[in-house]
Amino acid sequence: MKSEIPNDDPGRLHQLLQEWQVESALPPRFSEQVWRRIDRPDADSIATNPLAALRRSLAQWIVRPSFAFSYAAVLLAAGLFAGFWHAHAASQRVSQTLSARYVQMVDPYQMPRH
Amino acid sequence: MKRPWLILVGGLLLAALAYGASYLTGSTCCRNLVEEKNPELSWLKSEFHLSDAEFARIEALHTDYTTACAERCRRIDAKNAELRALLSQTNGVTPAVETALRDAAQLRAECQRAMLEHFYEVSRSMPPDQGKRYFDWVVGRTLGSEHEAMTHGRVAAHEHPGK
Repeated sequence: MKSEIPNDDPGRLHQLLQEWQVESALPPRFSEQVWRRIDRPDADSIATNPLAALRRSLAQWIVRPSFAFSYAAVLLAAGLFAGFWHAHAASQRVSQTLSARYVQMVDPYQMPRH
Repeated sequence: MKRPWLILVGGLLLAALAYGASYLTGSTCCRNLVEEKNPELSWLKSEFHLSDAEFARIEALHTDYTTACAERCRRIDAKNAELRALLSQTNGVTPAVETALRDAAQLRAECQRAMLEHFYEVSRSMPPDQGKRYFDWVVGRTLGSEHEAMTHGRVAAHEHPGK
């Protein structure tokens, strides 16, 4: 399409834009929809990209208080259990080592020098 | 989009903190044992629930025993050296070798008798139930285990072929 305004005349374009009046009425709830679009900048990509949709739904799920508290409780319990279990295993190992060393101290036939 | 990540990472940090706290709490006693002056005897005190007085008596018995044991070990080493010297001079079991073998066996028997006496003394210094538990445990690990170690726990090692 041939332009009526030469490209090298930005002053004229600016003047026309200043004079331009919008006469048609805005569609209903236009402002609300604009704000909604601003809130969800990736809404278009969600509609076309299933991965983005999944990420969004996961994010919405994670921020739910019920999930957040359950997640924290499970990880807290898992951390406590793993710590106690590891400490128990370490204590058992130390106990076995010390008992073997006691036996070596009292039994000359199990001393390293023999 | 920051809040979900904060929740996920915060949960992991909470788990790491819980792990560290419970590990440190659960391993306090074994860390204390290892840091003792004599960890093996401290283990004995902890394992057989000894009072301070019982432990002090057992510690004294242990010191006396290990001092005497070192002297017996020196005599056994000397006898073994004598036996090796005799074996290097002959190609058969001479009367001198036989005598040296008997002497070495006598010394080993003395050593085992002293060890057994020490176990009895230690077990008598403990509360009766713990003393019995100690004696059974220590005999199983010393006098009782030697033969088992030789046969790898297989009774079949003593069975005659064809039976």
